[in-house]
Amino acid sequence: MSETALRPSAGVATRPSTPGRRHRRSAYARRRGRSGLAFVTPFMIIFTLFMVAPLGYAIYQSLYTTKLIGGTRYSGFANYSTVLHSGEFWSGVIRVIIFGGIQIPIMLAIAIFFATIFDLGVAKWGPVFRAVYFIPFAVPIVVSSLMWGFLLDPAYGPFNRLMNAVGFNNFNWLSPNLMLPSIIIIAIWEWTGYTCIIMYTALKSVPRDVVEAAILDDTPLWKIILRIKLPMVRPAIIMLVFINSIGAMQLFIEPTILNNYQAGVVTDTWTPVINIYTTSISNGEYQLGAAMAVVLAVVIIAISVASLAFRNRRREFR
Amino acid sequence: MSAPTLAPQAQQPPAELRRETRRERRRRERLEERDATIPVELYGLKRGTISVLTACCVLFALFILAPVVWVIINSTKNQANIFQSFGFWFASPFEFFHTFANLFRDVDGDGTYSDWFLNTVLYSVVGGVGATVLAALGGYGFARFEFRGSKLFFGIIIAGLLVPITLVAVPLYLAYAKVHLINSIWGMIFPSMVTPIGIYLMRTYVELSIPRELTDAARIDGASELRIFFRIAVPLMVPGLMTVLLLSVAGTWNNYILPLIIFSNNTLFPVTVGMGLWSQHAGNSGDNNLYPLIVMGGLVTIVPMIALFALLQRYWRGGLLLGSVAN
Repeated sequence: MSETALRPSAGVATRPSTPGRRHRRSAYARRRGRSGLAFVTPFMIIFTLFMVAPLGYAIYQSLYTTKLIGGTRYSGFANYSTVLHSGEFWSGVIRVIIFGGIQIPIMLAIAIFFATIFDLGVAKWGPVFRAVYFIPFAVPIVVSSLMWGFLLDPAYGPFNRLMNAVGFNNFNWLSPNLMLPSIIIIAIWEWTGYTCIIMYTALKSVPRDVVEAAILDDTPLWKIILRIKLPMVRPAIIMLVFINSIGAMQLFIEPTILNNYQAGVVTDTWTPVINIYTTSISNGEYQLGAAMAVVLAVVIIAISVASLAFRNRRREFR
Repeated sequence: MSAPTLAPQAQQPPAELRRETRRERRRRERLEERDATIPVELYGLKRGTISVLTACCVLFALFILAPVVWVIINSTKNQANIFQSFGFWFASPFEFFHTFANLFRDVDGDGTYSDWFLNTVLYSVVGGVGATVLAALGGYGFARFEFRGSKLFFGIIIAGLLVPITLVAVPLYLAYAKVHLINSIWGMIFPSMVTPIGIYLMRTYVELSIPRELTDAARIDGASELRIFFRIAVPLMVPGLMTVLLLSVAGTWNNYILPLIIFSNNTLFPVTVGMGLWSQHAGNSGDNNLYPLIVMGGLVTIVPMIALFALLQRYWRGGLLLGSVAN
């Protein structure tokens, strides 16, 4: 095989060389424009029907109120006012922010630690561990929550038996105080492997000569990792933070399922998405639910834009 | 594990024309990986570092494997033993086949697991293939053509990445009620085809891996755009397409909230919603022997996905990074 094939970095690390050339709008360009439109049209139709339209409908609905007497009528921002003044809604938002703020850094640290080990090849059986760590990604969150529910069960779970055997008192993992930490553990179990594989692939794309030069300069290993490798995979780390933050804000499945093991801990307003679900589907107040969903989307977009702005500000240092 | 090289040597075409066998490919990939890795000795590590780090890897692997091992062991137990015996060891009676057979019956009126499983496969495969086809066309279109509004459209699609699925699920439910898509499989499949991340990944992939010169040359030779797409672009896009396919299949396989909202007919449930319902009922009334079914259902749900990811891993591994390099 040729030399170029041996560099896994060749394809990924370079930027595209032709960032969109401007054509004069000749007849040829117009014809090509029509072809381009034809290529994107199928996706745009489905996207419009099943994402843009429902969004528009949600915003429209959120401006109306249905009353038992008087029917449905325009109520302006009344629903939004209710949501913005709802302490329960905001305590849910704060809960998922705490959840993400703890879970994401821990998960990233573990993932980067193991990705670095695999990348350097300083542990035995690296490929085996990589495959094992990726297993949770193939497990639906409903199923992993069910499995962890059994493991953490306060009365019968094996984890509690082990704790008892070591001399601890009964440890209620699913009590109001420990529910969130338990969910953090579950989320770390679910996402660390995936994050680790992405970090590993990113680290592999760092050109070998850079690291070799550092070794020749007698740079200590920790400096190679912290000062050379990790700064070079910064875009991957930012992307991971970004994706995981959006996911964390929508926490829903784990608390819903764990609530079946110990009812009453997860209230109807525990996370914003549970709140939206119970308000619009269980209680039928979908206009209020739509307003909550819009507010949640605004919060998510605000956090995302803030993180992207952070990325752009720091780009000059790369 | 043996490679399919049983055909007589004489009948094989010369090496450079023959497709490489699996064993040859493994060997080449191993060599490539070795060449790309700096020998460990160069780092000047202290003696014992490798053992300590390997031990760390083992510990974390135990954490990852614990629930999976638990499910395998407990799929052989009856309800009493799932709770009363120690979770990480076997207990008699051996109930595996009895419980497995129950997956094909409607045990307590919630529905039949085997139906749910087939539904999940149907939604994931049709939704995933659809999402991949749309992402291939769309990603190629955005990467290779400029037309009025192309930047705006792409920007809107990227903004779609930020939209919480719940924000879409609730209004979809309201809209479905009007157009009779409640309890329709299409109400599940079409939204599964909307993958903004797929468009984003494919656009990046086309920009990085298909040289403009190649498509331009074909165009000068008079090939139609569709022909260029199918004959030149698609074969080069395969690794990216596999990544999008696996991510979208996994996404639909995992989806819980949308089917939870739009299906009330339990024969249409996917596995996730059915098992959620089981766990709700098992928690409310403990005596209907649902827990062994939940454990067995979990096992049967995760095995195909783990197998699929393991079998196809050399296709998707490179593609996962795509989202993080394009600025």
